[in-house]
Amino acid sequence: MDILTNLALGFGVALKLSNLLACFLGVFIGTLVGVLPGIGPVSAMALLLPVTLSGSPEAGIIMMAGIYYGSMYGGSTTSILVNIPGEAASVVTCLDGHEMAKRGRAGPALGMAALASFAAGTVSIVLLMLVAPTLARVAVAFGPPEYFSLMVLGLTVLAFMTQGSIAKALLMACIGIVLGLIGIDQITGIPRLTFDRMELVDGIGLVPVVMGLFGVAEILANLETVLKRDIVKARVGNLLPSREDWRRSAAPLGRGTILGFFLGILPGGGAVIASFASYAIEKRISRTPERFGKGAIEGVAGPEAANNAAAGGAFIPLLTLGIPPNVVMALLLGAFIVHGLQPGPLLMVQSPNVFWGIVASMYIGNIMLLVLNMPLIGLWVQVLRIPYSVLFPLILLFCIVGVYCSGNSSFDVLVMVVFGVFGYLFRKFGYEAAPLVLAFVLGPMLENNFRKSLLLSQGDLGVFFERPISVVCLALAALALLAAVLPGASRQREVIAKDTV
Amino acid sequence: MLVRSAELWGGLFWLALSAFAVWAGRDLGLGSLHDPGSGFVLFWLGAIMTALSASVVLGALRAPGESLSSLWTGKRWMRVLALTGMLVAYGFLFEIVGFVAGSVLLLLAVMVFIDRVDLRAAVPVAVLVPSAIYYAITHWLKIQLPVGVLAPWLS
Repeated sequence: MDILTNLALGFGVALKLSNLLACFLGVFIGTLVGVLPGIGPVSAMALLLPVTLSGSPEAGIIMMAGIYYGSMYGGSTTSILVNIPGEAASVVTCLDGHEMAKRGRAGPALGMAALASFAAGTVSIVLLMLVAPTLARVAVAFGPPEYFSLMVLGLTVLAFMTQGSIAKALLMACIGIVLGLIGIDQITGIPRLTFDRMELVDGIGLVPVVMGLFGVAEILANLETVLKRDIVKARVGNLLPSREDWRRSAAPLGRGTILGFFLGILPGGGAVIASFASYAIEKRISRTPERFGKGAIEGVAGPEAANNAAAGGAFIPLLTLGIPPNVVMALLLGAFIVHGLQPGPLLMVQSPNVFWGIVASMYIGNIMLLVLNMPLIGLWVQVLRIPYSVLFPLILLFCIVGVYCSGNSSFDVLVMVVFGVFGYLFRKFGYEAAPLVLAFVLGPMLENNFRKSLLLSQGDLGVFFERPISVVCLALAALALLAAVLPGASRQREVIAKDTV
Repeated sequence: MLVRSAELWGGLFWLALSAFAVWAGRDLGLGSLHDPGSGFVLFWLGAIMTALSASVVLGALRAPGESLSSLWTGKRWMRVLALTGMLVAYGFLFEIVGFVAGSVLLLLAVMVFIDRVDLRAAVPVAVLVPSAIYYAITHWLKIQLPVGVLAPWLS
């Protein structure tokens, strides 16, 4: 009953004209950045963060959230029509989606992607609504040791989930924490790693780091290769999948939704991992695995459901614990803080209008996306015809504007360029940027909670092993590390990663 | 060849950075377990990073993998270098030249020298987009962008 009352409050907030407009703008921009290769939800959210300052906190957060789940929808369009993933979570959709398009079935592939996204997105919001209040009640009992251990778990799991060397992923996480420590020490007031530069006293901004590592680095990486765009020339016909398509897709869609939702909640999880995991599972349990990669519609339905459900699930740790489980949520955390809100167990009590407003707006946003995506596919195809040589300078300019507006400092523009070059080099040398960014956001919180724990326990490190939640988190983190370094489990981890591509 | 291994050089770079973190942590003051100092976390992070970097270096010694030069073989790396140079120059001159003039020059340079775009398309895009962004940001969002050399016309 409580939930229904709260949901009514949420719809009251979400249906305000300004919030409806924010939701529409968010999902529209999200779909657009999802469609456009080279700019993902992270860059778009970083870019638009300063723009949200002119409105109310609810409108700003609703818009940012809309960009995230909107991009999950849009990414599939590019994957299916051009065979280039619009964003990372749609990589696997290329495999069967584009094959379907080449065989004249672009319509059902796009239709299934949109409908699976809608169904999974809606189910994940219902689950979010049911799980979040319970978790928030538990989270009230969390102290500094629990928060510290949970963040360690999040970073370790993210490092475990990344492809390639676990040592490199952990190294990136450590570097992220170090970067997060730059600036004034919150406890002693001593400046750290500022090299006597006034610009560094407040630390490095999240927006220039993210825009550099994801926006500029992507452009630099694309510049050195010849981007081939294999846009499907045939007219996109009937979008509705056939009865046979539904028969094949129903179970993968259901499995993808559940899997995606829980992988989204998991610290370090997220839409990318969810879509890969869903594809791998569907291929493994299929009676006809040989159809995968040759236009199997279940290879579109499962991953698309998974990445959208994960987008919903990812809100849970942020809204209930105040801990972002992935990079996108880290940016959303930044948006909350910029608007003077602190996500966490008390958000539902102190700002129920924001919490339930976001939840309700996600229902509305999902419907908007379905209505938007089906008829606007023609428009997205036209957008995809803009040559990359014109598109990338404009993306670059938007990155510069976003970074400058976030801090009103030309120093931030240079910071973005530096991180852009590092991001490009990270790709070359096989280091992933995601653990760095998440650790960069969590770093100051992690250090604060660690030092507070030691102060409270009078220097007893055992405080982390005496409290049940803390012990469980640290044990799970240790298991993830062990699994990554033990030869058998490590091989299995690589097999799972390779199985999907 | 081991000396050319990209993995080795990557590991050595991080090893140097880790050593710096250890030194900086010590320099800031470690404090004690009862009252950790400003450098406590940095010091121990540096120590963990040293171990991780050392494992990358050891891995490279066992299996050197790709050479540094092969990472750029067959790639159009000059374009990357040129764009980076342009962005650095833009960053340094941003306040002096101003947003609109600087951005017009940057877009033109990118579309003319890096990825050839027909001038009939490049010029209007390079002039109109920064001007429109400037108008939107300063008038609608009330955020000031540097006016630079166009100050007499934009102020």
